[in-house]
Amino acid sequence: MTALIEARGVSKRFRQHKRFPGLLGAFKTLVTSEYTEVTAVSDISFDIAAGEAVGYLGPNGAGKSTMIKMMTGILVPSAGTLSVLGRTPHEQRMANARQIGVVFGQRSQLWWDLPVIDSFTLHQRIYDIPQARYADNLKRFSALLDLTPFLDRAVRQLSLGQRMRAEIVMSLLHDPKILFLDEPTIGLDVVAKDAVRKFLAEINRERGVTIILTTHDLQDIETICPRLIMVDHSRLIFDGELGRLRAALGSARRLTLEFSADPGPMALDSATLTADEGLRKHYLLEREDVSLVQILGEVGSDRGLKDVALHEPDIEEVIRTFYQRRNAAPVAP
Amino acid sequence: MMAYAAFARSGFLTSLAYRNEVWANIFGKLVQVFARVAIWLAVYAGVTAVDGIGIKDMITYALLGGVVMGTTRYERIVHQVGKALKTGDVAIWLLKPVHYPLYLLAVEAGMSLYTFLLAVVPTIIVVASVYGMLPPASLFHGVMFLPFCLLGFTIHFLCAAIFGVLAFWLMTIFSLEWLLQSLITLLSGLLVPFWFFPEPFGTIASHQPLAWLVYYPSAVWLGQLDVGGTLLHFGLGLAWAALLALALALLWRRASSRITVQGG
Repeated sequence: MTALIEARGVSKRFRQHKRFPGLLGAFKTLVTSEYTEVTAVSDISFDIAAGEAVGYLGPNGAGKSTMIKMMTGILVPSAGTLSVLGRTPHEQRMANARQIGVVFGQRSQLWWDLPVIDSFTLHQRIYDIPQARYADNLKRFSALLDLTPFLDRAVRQLSLGQRMRAEIVMSLLHDPKILFLDEPTIGLDVVAKDAVRKFLAEINRERGVTIILTTHDLQDIETICPRLIMVDHSRLIFDGELGRLRAALGSARRLTLEFSADPGPMALDSATLTADEGLRKHYLLEREDVSLVQILGEVGSDRGLKDVALHEPDIEEVIRTFYQRRNAAPVAP
Repeated sequence: MMAYAAFARSGFLTSLAYRNEVWANIFGKLVQVFARVAIWLAVYAGVTAVDGIGIKDMITYALLGGVVMGTTRYERIVHQVGKALKTGDVAIWLLKPVHYPLYLLAVEAGMSLYTFLLAVVPTIIVVASVYGMLPPASLFHGVMFLPFCLLGFTIHFLCAAIFGVLAFWLMTIFSLEWLLQSLITLLSGLLVPFWFFPEPFGTIASHQPLAWLVYYPSAVWLGQLDVGGTLLHFGLGLAWAALLALALALLWRRASSRITVQGG
């Protein structure tokens, strides 16, 4: 099975007119033709197979949207090769467009003044979707995302959550093989986010739609995407499963011990004390093989131990640690 | 092709979405046309004909000018294209299996049909019943009026779209809009028909593309052109339209390739 998307050393550099600061500088800007080059994506390679769900993660300005734009064919790479469904996206943009779906969190593709359903029928015409297939998809997706109550309402009257659900349904009506989502949960409330995530995970699982989504929200990745691609400063810094990222970082668990009476300073062999509040003490478990039983044994039963809490590291923490370590020692893992 | 018909339908329905605008539109048109008619009534006070053109001809000309010009709104096109290019929203259209300029044309056709049916026709009925209006000079002229209007719409659209795309490289959308507005007011014959222009300006004005927006459709209705002249000018108009379409296609290609290379 060959890859659905193949990126080989893809780079994108933008040329920006050099601007000079200040009043004199403003005049200088008018007459000079100096340019500065800004690298948005540099030398990124990956393969994505059919049916995968990939989270594309990185801080602002890391080149996430640029990469999505190149994969959808509306930006031309400066170097490297990119193949999507066997085509070079920007050379066969129209053919590519028929087989992909795209959702931008920040840009609406619905007709502002018309009822939602009108945008959908328009979409049917644009993509020549046969009536039976269109009706079937519409029924199924609308039920899954609970669209039916507002299908007849004008888009401008919808809440952001309703609009986003409609955008996602529309992008799937023509049965795309790949669905690209650029920050699909941005600005949504918890309930709407949850609905969108569950829906995407289901579409990926049941229909085998390949999903590539960029996000700031790590929860998105945790629910939808088993695979994670991380970028920072235009470069790829991690590609693999979320679990592997955790493991690679040693997954330092946090332990909190609560006592009924202050047992005084207490050091443990298997854990490092990070904070001592007297009745409550916080430790860091850096080693993977240390078990709770082992720790309890070490504490002993005569110290007045009241409660124990063990925290698995959440994804935010994992990634924060990852960025910090990387910045401290700039060597790719 | 189905897609573009659907775009035209959406354009029509979008216009229909704001009911109050229907009434505001009719009122605005009425004021405009009444003002224009009033000017000509003042000019013709005590005179039966100027250069062989009677007051009835002028009232009819003012009314027809309202029809052809009132249907399409260049500022809407300039704005839409300019904004889509400057904000990068055009990317959404590049992501669909659709040609953006053709999409715009289809939507504008739908919106124009709406304006024609719900604003222009009522205006004409009201003004014509107050001041009277001349029928077409002959059956031939009456029949030819329609294709001339469609040609006028096409040239109007092309000029506005070209100005919109230019906004990508040049100045602000507003200044381009004002420039186009003054060009159209003067050179389409909307304000003053070319037969009142001093020479050589009359000749120059009647050879540029904007003349097909108001002047030629009205001149055909009034029988100012004979059969041969009507057909000749229809052909000339088509040639202008083809030239403008080519210019738009080239400009659009440059703009969109710049977007895909430079990201806008």
